[in-house]
Amino acid sequence: MTQLTDVRFQQRKNLFIPYIMAGDPTPEATIDVALSLQEAGADILEWGVPYSDPLADGPVIEQAANRAIEKGMTITKAIELVKEARSRGLTVPVVLFTYVNPVLRVGEEELVKKLSDAQIDGLLIPDLPMEESANLRRLTKEKEIALISLIAPTSKKRVEAIAKQSEGFLYLVSSLGVTGTRETFETDLQELIDDVKRVTRTPVAVGFGISKKEHVKKFHSIADGAVVGSAIVRFLHERRAQLTGADKEIALQELKEFVEELIS
Amino acid sequence: MKLKFCGITTKEDFSKAAKSKADYLGVIFAESKRKVTPHQVASWLQHTQLNEDQYVFGVFVNQSVEDIVHTVESTGITAVQCHGNEAPEVLQQIKAKTGVKVFKTIHHKEGAFEKIDEYSHIADGFVIDTKVEGAWGGTGTSFDWNTVPIYMEEASKVEKECLVAGGITPENVDELIRFNPGGVDISSGIETNGRKDEDKMARTEEKVKKTYQYPDEFGRFGDFGGKYVPETLMNALEELESAYNEIKEDDQFFEALHKEWETFSGRPTAMTYAENLTEKLGGARIYLKREDLNHTGAHKINNAIAQAMLAKRMGKTKIIAETGAGQHGVATATAAARFGLTCKVFMGKEDMRRQELNVFRMELLGAEVIEVTSGSQTLKDATNEAIRHWVTNVEDTYYLIGSAVGPHPYPMMVRDFQSVIGRESKEQMKELIGRLPDEIVACVGGGSNAIGMFHPFIDDPVSLTGVEAAGKGTKTNAHAATLTKGTRGVLHGSLSYLLQDDGGNVTEPYSISAGLDYPGIGPEHAHHKDTKRVNYVAVTDEEAMGALELLSVTEGILPAIESAHALASVVKQAPEMERNQTILVCLSGRGDKDVHTIKSYAEGGKS
Repeated sequence: MTQLTDVRFQQRKNLFIPYIMAGDPTPEATIDVALSLQEAGADILEWGVPYSDPLADGPVIEQAANRAIEKGMTITKAIELVKEARSRGLTVPVVLFTYVNPVLRVGEEELVKKLSDAQIDGLLIPDLPMEESANLRRLTKEKEIALISLIAPTSKKRVEAIAKQSEGFLYLVSSLGVTGTRETFETDLQELIDDVKRVTRTPVAVGFGISKKEHVKKFHSIADGAVVGSAIVRFLHERRAQLTGADKEIALQELKEFVEELIS
Repeated sequence: MKLKFCGITTKEDFSKAAKSKADYLGVIFAESKRKVTPHQVASWLQHTQLNEDQYVFGVFVNQSVEDIVHTVESTGITAVQCHGNEAPEVLQQIKAKTGVKVFKTIHHKEGAFEKIDEYSHIADGFVIDTKVEGAWGGTGTSFDWNTVPIYMEEASKVEKECLVAGGITPENVDELIRFNPGGVDISSGIETNGRKDEDKMARTEEKVKKTYQYPDEFGRFGDFGGKYVPETLMNALEELESAYNEIKEDDQFFEALHKEWETFSGRPTAMTYAENLTEKLGGARIYLKREDLNHTGAHKINNAIAQAMLAKRMGKTKIIAETGAGQHGVATATAAARFGLTCKVFMGKEDMRRQELNVFRMELLGAEVIEVTSGSQTLKDATNEAIRHWVTNVEDTYYLIGSAVGPHPYPMMVRDFQSVIGRESKEQMKELIGRLPDEIVACVGGGSNAIGMFHPFIDDPVSLTGVEAAGKGTKTNAHAATLTKGTRGVLHGSLSYLLQDDGGNVTEPYSISAGLDYPGIGPEHAHHKDTKRVNYVAVTDEEAMGALELLSVTEGILPAIESAHALASVVKQAPEMERNQTILVCLSGRGDKDVHTIKSYAEGGKS
């Protein structure tokens, strides 16, 4: 059993789920950042695997991916990095966030073995809809790794089927579009969340565009959690020099304060 | 194509044939080594489960109407074949008295073509058989199949079925199928030691009844295809699929589409016999399907018009598209203007620089060209950006994909719309040479002109070759030979072959041709590669540019650099073929757009 498949996880509220890009700015910094996020109160970490053609991502994460690829980060190395972080005291659940092509390149079976080996709790693939995920779902189930499903404002008739097979948490896409900070969200999210809640007890986390304290507060009140991606990736990129230099601790302290403010 | 297993003599053979895909089962009531009695046949019919659409033919030679009617009534056979020199009145009476289907055998000899006309008012169909002196049939010899198209034309004029019989075997049936008979009537060819042979029946059936049925309900061509897109788009794809399924059944839509193709784009496009090139290469006769003569200069308009009409019907007001060289962008901007839709075209910054004039053309047509600066700033990135825009504006925007790529239903839809190329070619070939070509060649980037050309021939015994861009050579890293050098992976929504590194990141392709410069390939081509139905080869920039020059000077046709890749393969293939064979090339576009590139290539510079 992993942390996300534990039934007790279903009771969790006010989840704060930051996203980081493995290897940006460096693998070493990724571990430091992960540990700081844990300290600041992150409940789950989304561990991003860089990919050349990230269709669901906006420019902030795409550019982070390009930087990480440039420095040699791969899906296999990203998984190894979790292992290392675990050995350095990372205990919160980790969800590997990757596009499907790198997964196929490693092989679904081999990948799941590696995830299990690195004590990774969940897997999220934004371009793998329900229809294409049967084999991977079977494999992840065997290792009790949660295959995280996404629901979008356009899911409509699909909501019930997706919610029914959800594991870990449900990733609810806040609005049409790609990742990246924004000011407005779909107005009828409450209705969508209600629809989901009628079918499943799986916690619902809202993501895409969340960058402010007010956003987190809003989604903590109408859902069970909030995912913050681009805002953190940008924050780290702005401090890339400190994160890889002597002022590392200052940057990490700033990150903690940024997160504490977000979830306060 | 109909299949008839004839001359069945035992209950076991009857049962085997009933289980096959044969449309017709035949038993002989005339004098013959395969003669059976009405009593036998009655018993077989009683004990055998037939398919709903299977007919059992009784074959008679000059027997009296009374005898035939009695046999029909006592056995329960559902069709009669008059195999002698029965007069039309005889058929008339049999039909009036029994109500069963009646076929007339026409023996191939002088005056035979006119016979069809003589019986056309009464016979439900015809069987053309070999005439050997002293025998009515079952001679095991075949007639000159070059005449099959003439019989077919006569029969289709009067809207009757027409089967070919005589000397057909599982081995030579391929050759017959090339002449496109309405059906195959086989008897001794499926026997071993006087009994029907299941293996021979199966082999014949496979060739005659072969039907290609991809994609499946999940949008898969074998392993390939599918829908690998963000959840936000899934509903839009489902809507698109059901809208497409609706128009598929809608004759009015297709009538309107054909009218647009005809009156706006100039279809059907010509079929040109490249006589000088044929002479020069000294092998197979070369025909060119002239997609370059379409409005806007390439096959892309076929699909752009069709999808724009579909978008309009779905109530969408905005169209977006990706473009590499700008051909699909121009075609989409054109169709959008024609149908009063707003149009945004995503184009990589690098491609905008290389194809400055096409950018201007699109803008002239009222489209907005959006510069894409991510990644390598070429087609792949333009496609990414178009998909991102679609995710954001999915509710009122239609994404008009220009190649046979993307998530289901796009590869199927683009194939179906582009199949007009292959369908027209088939008709034109029949008209020009009375048979199908031996070989068809087309270039593949994403693969839309190739799949449109190949698809209508996929069940025919025609060899198919897809030509990829080898750039500076497949041994270098500078190529776009996805099928030759790629590995399985997902790009832009479907599983196919892909140029990628060990980490699963997509790598940069290279080709002098902007239209072939794509790291992916339509999923159906991946399937055709794995099943070996299509042979995929790659030719270099140099070979393509050589072929471009050759066609220009020998035939007075300047092809697009994309199409020149197909021609470069023809330059290699045609001399290896016989002079009586035919090779058909899809000339997907004209080269006017490329003169700048051609000039700087000739001067040894960069594009």
